Amino acid sequence: MNPLLEQFLSESRDVLQGIGEELMRLEKAPDDKALLVSLFRMVHTLKGNSGLFDFPEMTRVLHAGEDLMDAVRNGRIAFTQELADQLLDAMDFVGLLCDEIENTGRIPALRAADSARLSAALRALIALHALPGAQENCEAVFDAAANALSPTNYPAQLPLGELPEAVLREAYLCAQQGPLHWLAYQPIAECFFQGDDPFYAARQTPATLWVHVGAREAFGPLPTLDAYRCVLEFRALSTAPLEELLELYRYVADQVQIVAVPAHCLVLPQGDPNGGPVYDDFVQDALQHLEAGRFNELRQAAQTMLHLSSPALWLSSALRWLLLLLEQEPQNLPALRLLIESLRSLQAPDWSALESAQALANTAAAGPTEAASDAGESALSGAVAPDQSALKSLLAAQRQILLFEDQPQWLSGRLKAVAAVLLHCCSARGALDAPAQIEAALALSLAQRSSAPLLAWLDARDDLPVAAAPALAPALAVPSTAPAAVAPATKSAAAASVASRNDAPEAAPADEAPAFGRRAEDAAASSGPKSLKVDQAKIDRLMNLIGEMVVSKNALPYLAQRAEEQFGVRELAREIKAQYAVINRIAEEMQDAIMQVRMLPVSFVFQRFPRLVRDISRKLGKEVELVLEGEDTEADKNIIESLADPLIHIVRNSLDHGLETPEVRRAAGKPATGKLTIRAVQEGDRVLIDIIDDGRGIDPQIIKRKAYEKGLIDEATLERISDRDAIHLVFAAGFSTAEVVSDLSGRGVGMDVVRTAVEKVNGSLALESVVGQGTRLRISLPLSMAVTQVMIVEADGQTFGVPMDHVVETVRVPRADIRAIKQSQTMVLRGSIVPLKALNTLLTLAPAARANADDEMAVLVVKIGGDALGLIVDEFHETAEIIQKPLTGVLTGLSAYSGSALMGDGSVLMVLNVKELV
Amino acid sequence: MPMEFKKKQVFLRDIVSVDEAEALLEWLQNKPGARVDLSQCSHLHPANLQVLIAAGCRVSAWPQDASFSAWLQTALIAA
Repeated sequence: MNPLLEQFLSESRDVLQGIGEELMRLEKAPDDKALLVSLFRMVHTLKGNSGLFDFPEMTRVLHAGEDLMDAVRNGRIAFTQELADQLLDAMDFVGLLCDEIENTGRIPALRAADSARLSAALRALIALHALPGAQENCEAVFDAAANALSPTNYPAQLPLGELPEAVLREAYLCAQQGPLHWLAYQPIAECFFQGDDPFYAARQTPATLWVHVGAREAFGPLPTLDAYRCVLEFRALSTAPLEELLELYRYVADQVQIVAVPAHCLVLPQGDPNGGPVYDDFVQDALQHLEAGRFNELRQAAQTMLHLSSPALWLSSALRWLLLLLEQEPQNLPALRLLIESLRSLQAPDWSALESAQALANTAAAGPTEAASDAGESALSGAVAPDQSALKSLLAAQRQILLFEDQPQWLSGRLKAVAAVLLHCCSARGALDAPAQIEAALALSLAQRSSAPLLAWLDARDDLPVAAAPALAPALAVPSTAPAAVAPATKSAAAASVASRNDAPEAAPADEAPAFGRRAEDAAASSGPKSLKVDQAKIDRLMNLIGEMVVSKNALPYLAQRAEEQFGVRELAREIKAQYAVINRIAEEMQDAIMQVRMLPVSFVFQRFPRLVRDISRKLGKEVELVLEGEDTEADKNIIESLADPLIHIVRNSLDHGLETPEVRRAAGKPATGKLTIRAVQEGDRVLIDIIDDGRGIDPQIIKRKAYEKGLIDEATLERISDRDAIHLVFAAGFSTAEVVSDLSGRGVGMDVVRTAVEKVNGSLALESVVGQGTRLRISLPLSMAVTQVMIVEADGQTFGVPMDHVVETVRVPRADIRAIKQSQTMVLRGSIVPLKALNTLLTLAPAARANADDEMAVLVVKIGGDALGLIVDEFHETAEIIQKPLTGVLTGLSAYSGSALMGDGSVLMVLNVKELV
Repeated sequence: MPMEFKKKQVFLRDIVSVDEAEALLEWLQNKPGARVDLSQCSHLHPANLQVLIAAGCRVSAWPQDASFSAWLQTALIAA
């Protein structure tokens, strides 16, 4: 996963959380304009961000949400609870998508349908709740919303009858084998202007059995034709899996309808219905054969009938289907029966009833098939609802719409939409008598321009959403009572039980509703976001605790020593030491782990340089190429942060003093563009940062003279100071070479600030420069500053700590090898002369350093500013990890010590500041 | 050229883009009963398809690509 996407996901979660909170607050204060605006902005940001990636499902929902919030913000829609619910649902969905992206890197194709549904629901809210006064063009939107709300997801209502019989037969055979999908793609009218080629997209549909392209509306005469307004509709039957189809159409999921087609929905006899009751005898015989299981006789009878009839007749077509069904699924008695019975009416069999019956049969095992086939009579209560709660909320929404008291110009459209939804609801539940009633009520409503008749119908069928629950419950418990429960005679009893159970169904939908929030929670429980935002103070506390643990674990060796020496139990001492080893390992790992938490890449500081360098070089009229290297080198957060200011100073200095103008550079035979390199590398437990320019370099003579002029050095120093040391004068406080103070440099504080800041975090600076060729400034920083490694040395019976950063090596030097050069003592170590100083002298301790039995002196070789120096001490001890605390109070002035630390045995260790000491 | 106009027939070749629809519409307006030859055509932008359907154009030769041809036939044979 690329960093951008990672950031997007983490940000999205934050924004989603924010949106959730704002929505809650809005519910309490729905009129708060500021909240509305901030909410809109959040949704807007999220949408914009999602557009960076290839997640059309997410963008679509967010876009709809944004439109909705925009409408609310502009006062076109009032903020309601329901609106908040819908929006929260959409945001949960987006959160779910985030999880899926994080887990799999992509959004499953199946989500396209959810996305289309959610965005349609959001858009429907815009249309539904439009306040009076802002109503132009609402009718179109409303119709669209109505379409979106009531998709023909029921296969029996697909215009499959338009397909030729041969295609249907082939499709039927395919549907027996695997999935079969009906696909209808209605591109939006403006799609050509968006650069879409819907025809091309449609042609990519895989595994098509049948394709069709047609116009949604009749074309007018050619001169008035607008070729660029798309009115085409593409349809296809495909045997490809649903995922494949969804994937293909994921960008236009809201314009595509994909419905799984069960095999028997294709059994649609076609032809001339010429004929009449003469077939009754055949139907009777055929049914008898069927009930008795005499398939051969049935087949023969059908074949004979087929021979006698003209092949173009509806009857012949039905008989051909009957033969095919007998061949393919002779066990499916209800289907066969339904097909034979359809011969009576010469109407295509209503497979939806069969489907509901089968659904019920599946649910309630064996018993209620009879009852279900009579479902037509007991209307809505007999069949199993696909989704109780969905249906319930749908109907509630319709009721709410009907209760609107205004009389807008699009009232007829609204009524039609409601009627369409009701029709679909009823057919989904297998209510066969309902359509006629609804249509009658709709006609009445339209005539009266009032929603009353439809409302009356809906109220009359008040049992719609809930009746199935009590009816089904006994059916499940005792199958034999099911027919009684659904029988019309007990309808009043059922109604009574509805009343008494009113609470239960109220509570039930909450559990059943397919809320994305719930799924998102489930997902979070298993995976959850991978990164945490933690307050730095908490990490610091952890760090301190671990530091103390490191120190207290160091008490164990002392304990072991005492056990052995004072109490003489070696066994115990050994065990304590073994335990110490274990604790030590764990503590070290813990320390390492917490360090990792605090690590930041240097890019955190580096990322501001491209802009800085660009701006400054423009201002100075210089051409600079900035090279950043090792940006992913990591160091402790404090270190990195302390680096920010010094680095800016250094870079400014390099640009201002180091790099020359293009003319000067050309004259010096260098490329006109100067090169500034900032490089970070990790070396052991230190981070080295080099700032290298190929500018004019630092001329030690000028530095010396300037320093003398500013009174930083006296004449004697001026004479004997080496070029190397002279360069380092730039770090002295008050030093500046610039004649005029500009807004960039010249105040003489820059490099001093750098030095102080770097030293504060135990870093060091090294400057190298060659006149005319460039300058290299190296900052060396510890990776972390919490725990310091020190070497413990002894002098005059006291122990002192020397930071390991300074320690080069420990050597034993025979007293005879120590030579005196004038006042100073020196020794020769591997061919080079190392000056020696006695620690006792430096600390003004009276006794001389002790030698060991072989008359050898203990010399600790330390490095100070690049030079080696030998410290003569009495004895070396172990190294220890300590938490160094700065000296406070009256001790602050003791520059010889950098701090103190508490040792494991309770003693205080003074840590020497070697640099100041010498 | 994706489009070549003859006396009473237009030849559509290769990929006929959205830009051609205007010209096609104009030509068909002046040539009622014109025929279209699609034998060399590999794809037709739907804008052109709409024009052909609206004009009730007769197809003298179908594309070679069977599935492409199947799509077109459902729209253009009925017309």
